[in-house]
Amino acid sequence: MGERAPPKRIPQVNVRKISPDFCEFVLSDTDPSVANALRRVMLSEVPTLAIDLVEIEVNTTVLNDEFIAHRLGLIPLVSQRVGEFTGAYDTNDDEENALMDIVFTMDVKCTGDDTLDVTSNDLQLDHNFQDIHPVAYHPSGMPMDPEAERGVLLVKLRKGQHLKLKAIARKGIGKDHAKWQPVATVTFQYMPDIRINQALMDTLSEEQKLEWVRSSPNPVFRVNPVTAQVEVLDAEAYRYDGEVIAKAKAFGKEGLVSITPRQDMFIFRVEGTGAMPTQQIVLSAIEVLLRKLDTLQQSLASEAAPMAVDNL
Amino acid sequence: MVTRNENAVTFSVQDEDHTLANPVRFMLNKNPHVSFTGYSITHPAEKILNLRVQTTGEITSTEAFRQALNSVIDVCQHVKSPVCSLFSNTAMAAMKVVELFCHC
Repeated sequence: MGERAPPKRIPQVNVRKISPDFCEFVLSDTDPSVANALRRVMLSEVPTLAIDLVEIEVNTTVLNDEFIAHRLGLIPLVSQRVGEFTGAYDTNDDEENALMDIVFTMDVKCTGDDTLDVTSNDLQLDHNFQDIHPVAYHPSGMPMDPEAERGVLLVKLRKGQHLKLKAIARKGIGKDHAKWQPVATVTFQYMPDIRINQALMDTLSEEQKLEWVRSSPNPVFRVNPVTAQVEVLDAEAYRYDGEVIAKAKAFGKEGLVSITPRQDMFIFRVEGTGAMPTQQIVLSAIEVLLRKLDTLQQSLASEAAPMAVDNL
Repeated sequence: MVTRNENAVTFSVQDEDHTLANPVRFMLNKNPHVSFTGYSITHPAEKILNLRVQTTGEITSTEAFRQALNSVIDVCQHVKSPVCSLFSNTAMAAMKVVELFCHC
């Protein structure tokens, strides 16, 4: 172990693509453990809103009560305002006015001869929170664009079947139940560091070069039409399959290319469910991580203080 | 905390898991005064984390742990600021898109 601490690196963030549903950014100059911590927090500890408690008044459908309650819980709710709410297990001194419940109601009865689809569009919103609604919500009565979202299908009704319930939504985190997960998926990829040994490459014939380039299932390399050299087309398309390495070995030219994952550059891809814009998910994740670290720091300070006194 | 001497300490942390432990362990390893560090989660059903820190004696284990925590906090702050500013430029435009998407 060296005597000098390594120089501190300042992490860089470069956003590549951003839309409310999908975001791609490159995080560099930091460690895989931090990148993984960010990914884990985005998945399991960013709070969102979801239906948590269902009071069923009438259910003559083919699905039983808990089945429908389960499906209701999984409906993604627009959760941009989740910061204003208190979770069921959050410690809070001012208990009296803690914002907790959002109450939805639903009352659907099938009267016609056709099968009636009950979807998330049939949920009636809470009067106090008109902006908290299922993602892609088109309540009946509004002009329905047939190509627009039809809502999440909950149950189908036959003539005479009736579903009436009250659903209470609360704040929670993915760790407790996957319904509170704000992302459909979040991945990070190590940026590959690809080095082609051009001297060895030049010992290959034209057809061999083409064959080698084509052996990669993803378009990572190409033969430059002008210089007839093999070059890297898109390093990020590389999926760490060993195909090109195996092909080089088959040619008897081991060491033709060396591909190592860079331990300090990560491409994050965040795909949201529509509950929150992806910017909010990433920012929330960092804030949650900072809060956890602060809590740990405080408890370390209070734990260690009595010990320090003893050692005087 | 389970202590034999202040330079070789096992911290037992409640309600935390790999999400915090791995970065903290990494930062601890980078500290030149730390001779050994590691963490273990004895059983996934119990939310208890054991973090072992042994130092060369120049600083106490608690101090090393504190420094490592500060390092991780620094990294998070550094990630947060560009994310905040980068995203806020597109946030206004994106919010409008979200509204159109949800309120038609």
